[in-house]
Amino acid sequence: MNYERGDVIEMLAAEYVLGTLRGPARRRFERLWATTAAADAARIRWEDRLAALALQLKPIQPRDEVWNRIRDAIAADIRGALADDTRAGIGARRRKVRWLPLAAAAALLGFAVWLGPRWLTRPEPTVALTVLGADPAHAQWRVERSADAHRLRVVTVAALASNPANAYELWALPRDGKPPVSLGLLPRRGEIARALTERQSAALLAAGKLAVSIEPPDGSPTGAPTGPVVMVGTI
Amino acid sequence: MVQPLLDNNELEQLLARCAGKDPAALESLYARVSAQLLAVVMHILRRRDLAEDILQEVFIRIWQQAGQYDQLRGRPLAWMISIARYRAIDLLRGQRRVVSLVEEELPEELIAADDAPIEESTRTQRALKDCLKVLSVSQQRCLALAYQEGLSHEGVAASMQQPLGTVKSWIRRALQSLRRCLES
Repeated sequence: MNYERGDVIEMLAAEYVLGTLRGPARRRFERLWATTAAADAARIRWEDRLAALALQLKPIQPRDEVWNRIRDAIAADIRGALADDTRAGIGARRRKVRWLPLAAAAALLGFAVWLGPRWLTRPEPTVALTVLGADPAHAQWRVERSADAHRLRVVTVAALASNPANAYELWALPRDGKPPVSLGLLPRRGEIARALTERQSAALLAAGKLAVSIEPPDGSPTGAPTGPVVMVGTI
Repeated sequence: MVQPLLDNNELEQLLARCAGKDPAALESLYARVSAQLLAVVMHILRRRDLAEDILQEVFIRIWQQAGQYDQLRGRPLAWMISIARYRAIDLLRGQRRVVSLVEEELPEELIAADDAPIEESTRTQRALKDCLKVLSVSQQRCLALAYQEGLSHEGVAASMQQPLGTVKSWIRRALQSLRRCLES
């Protein structure tokens, strides 16, 4: 049974990479490889295999202006890096303001008092850790920490459909091979900022990689990843 | 201009430097792979202006996402080719080529050279070349039309003047044969 399913995934991956898988079937397979390690691995295998066909094509020199446009864009990217940090902070506060009306304000206040310093929502200067995604071309979450590693910020790059059946949980993978330490559940949209416990903070500083696993809605019941690890990002 | 040899280690080092926001690294990367990536996108889109716009997007994406390239995969060129192809295929879906696929003439610059354009860089890619030889000429042609020209099953069928069902099964069997050959 598994073997047959493996065969189906293999052929879907092949036709996806070849480009003949189109329309809704193409979108379905994109969702499959984004959430299933086996499908992701099959896609990567075929990308590697079929790349030889791309290398058969005779190169075509781009016009000089193409590089000039790229050079200007990345120069702006470098110049704008600091300004972006500031803008992102303002944007996040504006978005939050739109959420506040409604009864949420009262709930938020109670929530904040209850959680105290463990959860804060104000963005602050951070150190970029990694970008998590099923594939480099499909970033899902951007993960940052405060300079002292006591706070974690996660920004959803592409919103996910809500699914009450499971949750995505973030793990710090220590370099010394010790067991993963949970850094909490990941948002499906928007961004979160949370304070870390001493243990989480130490694990984060010792981590070489961050990983995402699929868990029950309330997170792993055991304190270790129980579902498939679907993404890994190097810090 | 001499086509530089593509070395995986060198490409990975350049990607690592791009992740560290070194613009000179992106320029070197561009010098090495831009002409090959433009060929990939041009074959699918058939329009230089569109293809060069996509090439620009692809390099900005490489710049932004170089940090996510996973060195364990050891396939920097396949990674970049995939970014370019998927973007071109997505664009194709939006604006179907209007020209008849059967009578369409390839722009002169798309006609393949006799010699291999660049060094093949991985064992998998060399193996694929050998395994392609076990396929029938029709099967090879189907794969090339789909992969290189971005044609759908229907487009391949029209181009080869064969029934759709025949072409679908040629492609399926070609991929199965390739898989068997590459895994053996």
